[in-house]
Amino acid sequence: MSEASADSDAPPAETPRGVVATVVFVLRFVLRYATRYWVSYLFGFLALAATNWAVVRIPTLVGEILNELEAAGSEGLARSEAAADLAVELMVWASALVIVRTFSRVLFFNPGRDIQYRVGVDLFSHLLSLQRPFYVRRKVGELVSVAANDTQSVRLLVGFAGLQVCNVLVAIPLHLWQLLRTDWVLTLWCVTPVLLGGIYMRWTVSRFYAMVRSSLERLARLSDRILESFAGVATIRSHGAEEAAVARFEVSNRDYLDLQLDVARLRAFAMPVLGFSGFVGTGLVLWVGGQRVLDDELLIGDLATFTALLMSLVSLLTSLAWVLTAVSRGTVALDRVQELLDRDPELPEASASHTLDASPRLELRELTFRHPGRDEPSLRGISAVVEPGQTLGIFGRTGSGKTTLIDILARIYSPPKGSVFIDGLDARHLELGPLRAGMAVVPQTPFLFSTTLRDNIRLLGEDAAVIAADDAARPESGLLAGLTRGRTDAVDGARAGQARVERAAGLDLRAPDPHLDAVIEAACMGPDLAALPEGLDTVVGERGVMLSGGQRQRTALARALYRRPRLLLLDDVLSAVDQATEVKLVAAIRGLSGQDGPDGQGQAPTTVIVSHRTSVLEHADEILVLDEGGLVERGTHAQLVGQGGVYAAAHEHQNEDQGGEAGRG
Amino acid sequence: MAEDAKTHPDVGSALGLLRRFWVFIRPHSAWLFSGLAVIPIVAGMATLRPLLLKRVVDEAIPAGDPEGLRTLALLFLGAVALEFSAMAVQVYCLQRSGHAAIYDLRTAIFRHVLRLPARFFDKNPLGSLLSRSTSDVEALGETLSFGVFTILTDVFMVGGILTSMFILSWQLTLLSLSVAPLLFLLVRWFSKNLRALQLEVRRAQGVQTGYLTEQLSGVSVVQLNGQEGLARDRFAGLGERYLRATKLANIFDSLLYSVMDGISAFCVALLLFFATPALLDDASWLGEATAGTLTLGLLFAFVSYLQRVFVPIREFSNKLATIQRAAASLERIYGLLDTLAEPRDAGGEDPLATWTGQVRMRDLSFSYAWGGAEDEAEAADGPVILSEVDLDIEAGEVVAVVGRTGSGKTSLGRILTQTYTGYRGSIEFVLADGSAVELRELSPDRVRRRLLMVQQDVFLFDESAGFNVTLGEAELDDEDAILTALETVQAADFIRERGGPDCAVGERGANFSVGETQLLAFARVAARSPTMLILDEATASVDSLTEQRVQKAIERLLEGRSVLVIAHRLSTVRHADKIVVLARGKVAEVGDHEALMARDGIYAELYRSGFDEASETAAASE
Repeated sequence: MSEASADSDAPPAETPRGVVATVVFVLRFVLRYATRYWVSYLFGFLALAATNWAVVRIPTLVGEILNELEAAGSEGLARSEAAADLAVELMVWASALVIVRTFSRVLFFNPGRDIQYRVGVDLFSHLLSLQRPFYVRRKVGELVSVAANDTQSVRLLVGFAGLQVCNVLVAIPLHLWQLLRTDWVLTLWCVTPVLLGGIYMRWTVSRFYAMVRSSLERLARLSDRILESFAGVATIRSHGAEEAAVARFEVSNRDYLDLQLDVARLRAFAMPVLGFSGFVGTGLVLWVGGQRVLDDELLIGDLATFTALLMSLVSLLTSLAWVLTAVSRGTVALDRVQELLDRDPELPEASASHTLDASPRLELRELTFRHPGRDEPSLRGISAVVEPGQTLGIFGRTGSGKTTLIDILARIYSPPKGSVFIDGLDARHLELGPLRAGMAVVPQTPFLFSTTLRDNIRLLGEDAAVIAADDAARPESGLLAGLTRGRTDAVDGARAGQARVERAAGLDLRAPDPHLDAVIEAACMGPDLAALPEGLDTVVGERGVMLSGGQRQRTALARALYRRPRLLLLDDVLSAVDQATEVKLVAAIRGLSGQDGPDGQGQAPTTVIVSHRTSVLEHADEILVLDEGGLVERGTHAQLVGQGGVYAAAHEHQNEDQGGEAGRG
Repeated sequence: MAEDAKTHPDVGSALGLLRRFWVFIRPHSAWLFSGLAVIPIVAGMATLRPLLLKRVVDEAIPAGDPEGLRTLALLFLGAVALEFSAMAVQVYCLQRSGHAAIYDLRTAIFRHVLRLPARFFDKNPLGSLLSRSTSDVEALGETLSFGVFTILTDVFMVGGILTSMFILSWQLTLLSLSVAPLLFLLVRWFSKNLRALQLEVRRAQGVQTGYLTEQLSGVSVVQLNGQEGLARDRFAGLGERYLRATKLANIFDSLLYSVMDGISAFCVALLLFFATPALLDDASWLGEATAGTLTLGLLFAFVSYLQRVFVPIREFSNKLATIQRAAASLERIYGLLDTLAEPRDAGGEDPLATWTGQVRMRDLSFSYAWGGAEDEAEAADGPVILSEVDLDIEAGEVVAVVGRTGSGKTSLGRILTQTYTGYRGSIEFVLADGSAVELRELSPDRVRRRLLMVQQDVFLFDESAGFNVTLGEAELDDEDAILTALETVQAADFIRERGGPDCAVGERGANFSVGETQLLAFARVAARSPTMLILDEATASVDSLTEQRVQKAIERLLEGRSVLVIAHRLSTVRHADKIVVLARGKVAEVGDHEALMARDGIYAELYRSGFDEASETAAASE
């Protein structure tokens, strides 16, 4: 993770691009995702046009009625019937408005939701196809924020902003047309302050968003600080540094408050300017319009029409200001989403497919590997051959390249051309799926999912039941129970998907699983399970926090063994396991490598095992000793101890520390 | 409604909670009262505006009086200016008092949490603590700045408008507002459903985001095990649930919005429909008195009032919900603030000022279930970790405690530093004059000034290396002192290589290796030079070379102070003046290395089989 690569891969900055380029960019996205909803959008647009017609028609009608009344004076019923008819028409329009407005909103918003859903799923499945080099550069939190928040902004862009932009496109001309038609002189008078207010509002809203963005950043920093301090509370407590921690916290807290007050100032003094200008416009209607009524150039009811249309215009301009900003934010969010969607998985082209039906033969030829963005290679010129069923041990201190070697064999990083061969085929160009189906990798720091132990070992997605249980805790009321039935459907959907998996795998999840039992036995997990409240059904908590380091490592080992791998890659998996257990586990792994594996097929998996403990490596067919990426010693355990090099020294040191190893040949 | 009752306390208790919150607002009450004081001005001006409109239509225009027209228009503009100024002042003052109170609350929570006993953190996951200190506080802040007080404004506004309408014509008021009760019920019904839906939306979203985060964190596992397809299907399933809820919420939301929007037009229509004959006839059905007073200007005023009077109804139910949410947050926050914190030193003379470093433990028993638990009866059961331990640590002596996992050796350190309270028996700190102080009589911060425990897991803060030595304590913050401390533990070299004490350690110490992290933690000790040190040796895998440096640093730290080593390494044990072997919470053997080996008991067996490296934390929570 060098500075340079972090920079080049930083999410795109909000560089302003040309309006045309932006429109093209957004349109391309819309074409890709939104076209299938064109019917919805078309009817939505029609409903929107109808809505605006009603919005303009209503104040005009009010004005006309008042004009009728004014004209009728005290002349009797004859003329007043016209006004009553107009009032009835007004009611019809008011009711129609409710209906068409509902339709316009629903028809615009719901496709937005659909699009958000589809973008989210596409993004997630694309992220799953991206490889380690990508995940080294990008933090998970940042990716989650793109998937969770930026897709929301994209939805607002195609739903809310889409509606508003269309709305404004229809409504503003309609309003102006109606105003001008009624009295163009008065229109010029009173629209001027409103338009000025609108321009000011546009400026204020962008300032507001800038503030909100930095206040969110400061809030995030504040939360980070809180989380960090709480996580380190034991350290703070034992050093009695509580007051110092509070003082440190107050700095961030004060920072946040200052910005909050800036936002409050803006909200109090700058935001209402547009509303204010609307009322100024109304004042002008009274003044100038009143004068024009006196001069007989305007009817008195038109004053009411003017006032109402003006207020309606103010709210349109307000939403326009917000929408323009939402659009620019949405575009930035869309940029970030698109950038991820367009990212290449960076996998070399697969030219062959190889299934590991039998334990493979591994060959490394002058393997030299440099991590992307690093100057120094992590591995230099390593060559080795591991015959089917044999075990290769890797020894070296922290940073010597052990883990890199495992990562390359697991194809977490792609090996350079012509350096790693599996059954004689260049591993670089093998298809990932079939290759990985036959291998199991246990990383140095095991990752457990917050589901049951059983599922963590078998990885069959059994935790649907856990989600359902969480969900069942929620009581529902009245009508909503019926309306949200979809919710349970969704969970059922997850369960149905589950059932498909089960059928495909030919397993019943609750049925006894002798292979699982064997694996648990091999990983020495029996006593641990007995101590856990619900045995295999214990939910292990976020990233396995319920378990000790050793238990986590052994769970990951069990997970690997469960897969009946033909190629087993173990990266320092016994580091947090105590001595006695280590002996048993080494025996279990050797048992796989012996003549009869637990699967009874008689062939042991080809194994590569990394450790900094010599006791783990004693039985390997060959041990490579690495230092700073290069090979410094190689041979069997006995040979290496005899050579008196780095390995022998470490062996000596560890032996001394472990009490002379008297009882352990 | 069961759900509502659970997550939303009723309005009465909500007010009670808010009353309790007054402590935090009081210091900023000047802002609050200034904000409240201008509310009547805002409401008054909003009520006045349509009245001016009425006079324009009824007086100035019929009279053909341009002078009067100008005066009224200027008055109107004046009223508008006054209304908006008052509103700006109101918004700013109220928000200011709200934010300031929240600022104080945030600090209060943070300070309180840092003082909570270790037991509390065992039971409460960090996530929920964090959400109480952030999202709950934010929800409260939102309400304070918008919800509570804008309701007051609304009440004044609606009150003013209704009064004015009734005075102008109570008949027309009743007529045009005849749909209001229906509207109110409708809005309530919509809001109730919307609220429940939004709850479901948030829940669905939470589940989905949680799943996403976990799968991406473990993306290697997913990929190496070929789980991509399964993960994608699960994610899509969770997304569908979210999608369905949001779509339904959309429909309700759109309906509510449209109904509210249409209703004021409808009321105007009602008004005009019935007012027409009233205006033109003698309008006997509206009562004799009305006929003369019903004017065009009155209709203007009413039309204007009707556009304004419904807005608060639309908002009211939302605001009430916000307040209830805030009350729920406040309830959780008070749940946290009411948790008993560790006692703190009241000031005065330091009873440990002349402590020699000698400690006498007699008949010491301990269970994690004792102390802390409010209920003594409940406290009775729970595994006993230590029982009847007698142990002496002389001034300047190095005592090593060894034992298998679960023997209670780590607990010993936790008792001495009062990380966990509730021991039985006696632990005495011997002073220079030969007298002794009992541990439980001392406040934990007093003890920790003199008795420092270094944990297995080193925690580094995302700040400079220097900060991680001082931990921000002002009296230690001196470049020379920091360098001296680093020098003592041989950490100065690699710190200098990276640019001195100002170099960043990265998130959780990402820029440093495990061994270097250890050395930094030792520098913390060196900077504080405690009278006694408890060293819980790390079991983390460190390569041999680093291990030698760590070993040397430990040796330096041991010099000149009493030390209790919870030992995992043989080399440390060999430096000890005395070795205590614990087995099942009791002292099984005491002596030096040779004596214990000669005895050929538990120690000799431990020695031969290598030391136990299993995680001690697992044993502690058993």
